[in-house]
Amino acid sequence: MSEAQTGWQHVPHQHRGPHQHEGADDHVYSPKLHNGTFKSQGIATFMGAPYCPPDRKAIRAMGAKVCFIGVPWDQGQVVRAGTSQGAAGIREASTQYFPYMFEYDVDLLTFFRVVDCGDIPVVPGNNTKSHEYIYDYLTECLHGGAKVVLCGGDHSVPIPGARALSDFHKNGTIGYLHVDCHLDAAPDWAGNAFTNCSGPSRALDLPNCNAKNMVHMGSRNGLNPKDWHDFFVDNAVGLIPMQDVARRGVVECTKEIFTRAWDGTDGVYFSWDTDSIDSSCMPGTTAPECFGLKGREIVQLARTAGTFGADIMEVSELCPQFDVSHISIKTAALMIYHFLGSRAKTLRDRGQQP
Amino acid sequence: MNPAKSYAHLFSPLGGEGGENYRAPGQLTFLRAPHVPLETEALKAQSARYAFVGVPFDEGNVGKPGSEDGPREFRIASQEYLSYWFEFGVDLYGLAVDCGDVPMPKVNPDSARERIYRAVTTVLKAGKTPIIVGGDRSISIQAARALSDHIGTGKKMGCLHFGAHLDLADSWAGEKLLSTCALARITELPNLPAANVAHIGARNSMNPKDYIDLAKARGLRFYPMFEIYDRGIDAVTREAVERVWTGTDAQYLSFNFNVMDASAAPGVTATEPGGLESREIVQVADIIGERKTVSLIDVTELAPVFDVSGTTSRLAVCTVLRLMAAMARARGELVDQRLRRSDLTAAE
Repeated sequence: MSEAQTGWQHVPHQHRGPHQHEGADDHVYSPKLHNGTFKSQGIATFMGAPYCPPDRKAIRAMGAKVCFIGVPWDQGQVVRAGTSQGAAGIREASTQYFPYMFEYDVDLLTFFRVVDCGDIPVVPGNNTKSHEYIYDYLTECLHGGAKVVLCGGDHSVPIPGARALSDFHKNGTIGYLHVDCHLDAAPDWAGNAFTNCSGPSRALDLPNCNAKNMVHMGSRNGLNPKDWHDFFVDNAVGLIPMQDVARRGVVECTKEIFTRAWDGTDGVYFSWDTDSIDSSCMPGTTAPECFGLKGREIVQLARTAGTFGADIMEVSELCPQFDVSHISIKTAALMIYHFLGSRAKTLRDRGQQP
Repeated sequence: MNPAKSYAHLFSPLGGEGGENYRAPGQLTFLRAPHVPLETEALKAQSARYAFVGVPFDEGNVGKPGSEDGPREFRIASQEYLSYWFEFGVDLYGLAVDCGDVPMPKVNPDSARERIYRAVTTVLKAGKTPIIVGGDRSISIQAARALSDHIGTGKKMGCLHFGAHLDLADSWAGEKLLSTCALARITELPNLPAANVAHIGARNSMNPKDYIDLAKARGLRFYPMFEIYDRGIDAVTREAVERVWTGTDAQYLSFNFNVMDASAAPGVTATEPGGLESREIVQVADIIGERKTVSLIDVTELAPVFDVSGTTSRLAVCTVLRLMAAMARARGELVDQRLRRSDLTAAE
């Protein structure tokens, strides 16, 4: 389906001034004649993508293959608040980038016909209702024929997120990947079974998500109580702690977890918590931890993950306000950019469309 | 050992002058060096090899502002270091003077650019090596032009650039002299062959397609971070240095500190993840230092407002000082290793 056959269109926002729009691919070049799309962004969307209502018909009509969607939610988590601003931070950081990536020689915007579906509504004080909205909006995106880049929001969002993917593939099975500093395998936390402490636990509850297609990677340090670790041992869910990632290398480990998640499954939920990253590279996260992934390991993980792909890629627990240098929002944006860039290159090399 | 020279500064403060000026410098200068007016004759009278010039210019910037405070923080961070470098066995005391900042008119970028050009020319005419600290990357256009004009068309220069962005926009919204156009303008200099240009550290999505197209059209060799992941910084730096120094009469060395990983340099205008780590830039300085001399050094895009812990300016200072130290060692300017603190006490 060519761009002309879809409703998807990238319209630069300048209608006045010295703007000269030369063609549909203008945005992959630095501003030459027009009025500097770089700092003057018009409506701030992710990657400067057009807005699309989170509705399956609208998404299909636009032919979008990637939907960015934010969840300004931080009341499903037990540590410091602030991750409700994460999606806004990623949108802001993306204004400092072009959608073209020279490493993969691809224009992400037109290749995937990326759209920004805005933020999912959340209900203050009501985790259950907020999760229902997340489930509903993700279901619309998936039925709209798109892959989803989901930006949390706290790490309770994979609970409704994986449930949405599970129901979408209800006649098949799904894989579930959880890259995180914390094991998040509590049966419940103080009686609440749907917090940011229970992502893998709730994923395993899903009828078509099997332990053999589940892996956790990057766990470390002392916020991992014994029952969380026992969950992985007792249920034979895959586990690659950070010390193994450091020893074996992030590329090899990432290949292993994606191979396992995609083995015989119809879709994969890829949950990437920003606290998997070293606190020096990601100070702006809910629970910063030392001994995490370093700068180039982040890029390598995203790049390797992109060769496998995922139905939903989720970046969570980003808290821009704890990061006075603003490095975290750009890193989070780049996690998505390198994942999509590598995905695009992989598909193109195989002669496939997204 | 030169009996006319004081050696007290090689040792930890003994009292007196050495003890007084650590973190209480009186005049805030680069490496506590004497201030010398930015005039060719005044500079010629100095024995120093390097002349430090601050360029607080932020009007060539397309992204986050803040680089005009770079020179000030660079000087402050330089106060934290002493002149003796044990790894190299050399003493940087007396190697540099500080010419202050280029006076900036603000809101008149054309005038500011000419002042930068004149300042660099003044230092070069005095036979000194300028150390230019910005300011945004666009100042490199003026610095390189000054070096090119100084050596003249009969000679060749080389260019080694470190940065996350290629800065190869032929124009940006119609402007030709912004930081995003830096390498595009520099590689148009008549005595800079493409074969002697190398760029290290390109990555991520602030390198639009026309940058890559222009690099190909001009035959520029750039070493992206993906290549450094695979080959290592040592091999890449040696190859790049070889390109830049082979057959050239002058060499221009440019550090945009966004070449560093965002974690190692949070205080730059455009942080980029996936870059060099601290120990890699130290390796870089040591490798370049084997070449003994360089014609011009610039450091750009420091943004102290984002550098809350002061680590970025300190890293930038450390890189420049290590480079100076490595070059001094390569030239054989070594401190007599037999010298002891007790010799000084005895002399008193």
